[in-house]
Amino acid sequence: MKRNLLTFFILGGLILLAVVASQVVGIRLYDRVATNLCISLTLVLGLQVFMGNSGILSFAHIGFMGIGAYASALLTIPTMMKGMALPDLYPFLKDVQLSPYIAIAVSGLVAALVAAIVSYPLMRLSDAAAVITSFALLVVLHTVMTHWSALTNGPRTLFGVPKATDVKLAALVALLALVTALAFKESRTGKLLRASRDDERAAAAVGARIPQLRWRAFILAALFTGIGGALWGHFITSFSPRAFYLKETFLILSMLVIGGANTVTGAVIGTFIVTAAYESLRGIEGLLNEAKVSSQPVIGLTEIVLALAMMAILVLRPGGLFPTREIGALLARRFGRPEKSG
Amino acid sequence: MLEVTDLEVRYGAIRAVRGISFSVSSGELVTLLGANGAGKSSTLRCIAGALKSAGGSIRLDGENVTSAKPEIMVRKGVATVPETRDVFPDLTVDENLRLGSYTRRADRSGVNADRERMFELFPRLAERLSQPAGTLSGGEQQMLVIARAMMSRPKVLLLDEPSLGLAPVIVDQIFELIAKLKQTGVTILLVEQNVTEALAVADRAYVMRLGKVAAAGTAAEISAATDIDALYLGG
Amino acid sequence: MTFAIQFLINVLSLGGAYALMALGLVIVYGILRLVNFAYGELIMVTGYTLFLISGSALPWFVMAAAAVAMAVVTGIATDYIAFRPVRAKSVTAVLITSFAFSTLLQNAALLFISPRPRVIPLPEIFSRTVEIGGAITPMRNLLTIAAAVILLALFAFLMRRTVLGIAMRAAATNFTMARMLGVPANLIISSAFAISGFIAGVVGLLWMGRIGTVVPGIGLEPLLVAFIATIIGGMRSLTGAVIGGFVLAFIDTSLNYTLPQELLKFRDAFTFSLVILILLWRPEGLMRGPATGQRT
Repeated sequence: MKRNLLTFFILGGLILLAVVASQVVGIRLYDRVATNLCISLTLVLGLQVFMGNSGILSFAHIGFMGIGAYASALLTIPTMMKGMALPDLYPFLKDVQLSPYIAIAVSGLVAALVAAIVSYPLMRLSDAAAVITSFALLVVLHTVMTHWSALTNGPRTLFGVPKATDVKLAALVALLALVTALAFKESRTGKLLRASRDDERAAAAVGARIPQLRWRAFILAALFTGIGGALWGHFITSFSPRAFYLKETFLILSMLVIGGANTVTGAVIGTFIVTAAYESLRGIEGLLNEAKVSSQPVIGLTEIVLALAMMAILVLRPGGLFPTREIGALLARRFGRPEKSG
Repeated sequence: MLEVTDLEVRYGAIRAVRGISFSVSSGELVTLLGANGAGKSSTLRCIAGALKSAGGSIRLDGENVTSAKPEIMVRKGVATVPETRDVFPDLTVDENLRLGSYTRRADRSGVNADRERMFELFPRLAERLSQPAGTLSGGEQQMLVIARAMMSRPKVLLLDEPSLGLAPVIVDQIFELIAKLKQTGVTILLVEQNVTEALAVADRAYVMRLGKVAAAGTAAEISAATDIDALYLGG
Repeated sequence: MTFAIQFLINVLSLGGAYALMALGLVIVYGILRLVNFAYGELIMVTGYTLFLISGSALPWFVMAAAAVAMAVVTGIATDYIAFRPVRAKSVTAVLITSFAFSTLLQNAALLFISPRPRVIPLPEIFSRTVEIGGAITPMRNLLTIAAAVILLALFAFLMRRTVLGIAMRAAATNFTMARMLGVPANLIISSAFAISGFIAGVVGLLWMGRIGTVVPGIGLEPLLVAFIATIIGGMRSLTGAVIGGFVLAFIDTSLNYTLPQELLKFRDAFTFSLVILILLWRPEGLMRGPATGQRT
């Protein structure tokens, strides 16, 4: 227990430090970076809840980010703008206009509800079948978002989402996600699920209903991913379904994999590292474009470097930077008295 | 021919084979006896290259072949008949045999001669040449696996419980075959639980218990030893 | 009658392409039990190779052969870069590395070539049309059918009649046993990736022949098609993959003719939901593959 508190304080402190530092500097760019960092943390911690505990790779999560973003947009775009932004909207939604803060929470619940319905039968699957279905699910969600024009404005950009996310709100949600991820890992469900990750048969033999456990983790993950998506929507204020597809999936996955999917510490540290790398590389791309080193715009450099880093990590350190132990446990082992594993 | 020294095999934290040593001379038939879980099969699979050793050494004709890949071991003349009777069920009997001669497929006339020899030893296989191996009976599958192993013209044949799960009549046939194979001059290491039958064909025997060699001697000595049951039952 | 001929040609040409796409994916999956997410990029590589050498004065056939050869090389490279270093570690790791490798190749195309479509050279025959029984159909559809027939026959011969093919089928059921007979694991795996690359290269030429251009994301649709067809056909059966390709083409073509425009947009969602349903019903796919299996 002490170790988990220690982990929470270290990681939470890190998040707060990053946010405070970004404000003290007073440069708008850093404010944006810090907000993005906190949103990414929410998304990555969400994914960690499922992947880290169940050991199953899921490609579908970014789809739930999209659901969150669109749900919150529908609930908050001012009534007078809805006619323009979403001309074919169903009448019963036309007059809805909630406070963004309520809408963000509701959107998380919507994503969780969709996840609960869609994923229930999928949780029996393991290995390749599980991965392919999660990939299929992402494609299905993407197709629906791209073509359900009444709700999403189709493949076109949806405008007019009120700006509501600032760095404080994003940090608060990230901290909540952190507590939840740590608590879930230590909960009975989390522990049984981790046992099933290491040995599916043995866990089933002691009576763990694995699909049921995975399902709970998946719903919780979708809840946070949905909230993360809503936060992002209220930060960026205009987006199209393309934002919730393979590119974003790759980015979120690289954060989790580089840090270490099995630990909450890995999820947090991975997000920090990849965000820093991402922003610097984007900066370099920008500089190269300004310097006009080539006749064409420089794009893709960031993804190339991240892909290489991800592959290198998986080869050299397959579990990521924090493969098994949380930071609190590592420090306690190093400096403190030995404590029973918890 | 085959010399195993202080061999260890681990599955994670479990030590299945805890430092065993034995040797098989050229043309000899040596049997490894022991109860379930004594480490016999692990030893055999380790020699075949299908398992990595955790310690000790395996020498073939004086050459160190410890932890060589399975495909290398075949080229060096060690053929394996695994306990699980692994025919390729979707491949025909003919195709199974063709794979048996994979390492010497360039030597067409030699391969054909060996096929004829195998058909003499196992006439049933000749009848079922174009049938998928999965449709054969248990005994026929065992014959196919042995024939397939012999197609690589091995110096050493590793046989893992060839009598497992077969009807008594078939078991007798299999052991007759093993005796015939021995006469062709191939060196054989036979892992068995069927003590009587194994000792009847073997020159020498080692009894394994809990990953170690508990007794060794000629087949006659081991047969005569009164404590063989005790070794099995763990007394 | 005309409609029937039209429909048949459409199903057969689309099915031929789909069947080949599925076959290229399943040849690797069958042996390694691992999905190659960078499979679509083999098609992308074919396209860009053709684009890059289009300035040369070489005959088209030579350029096409070079492009397919490049796909073969990339296929083998996929094994060495994304599969081999992590294969022994975990299934998830391989899926992620192949996904990362796919991202890497796509973004390399973005960075070094262009995000915009690039025109690839095509022989004149690709744009010609012919009339069969009253139905006017593009020549390339017939080419696709012919290529599929030839390639499938060639593939069947390879798998049934050659030692390498028999060894690959054996490795797909029991890799360790195949190795214990002297079949080198690396040869089998590299061959599988090379065949995968070859098939992807040829099908890539035909696929891009429909639009005449290549973009960095061109591989996604073939990958998705291969997924669906493979799952319909049973994830480990080579015959199944081919059947799955034709079944999917039949479903797609029928939906094209029957679904109202409003719903047609959701076609991919329908077919993918079908995949999910099939996997729920039978996690190993519709058709049973070889009886047992294990990974190296």
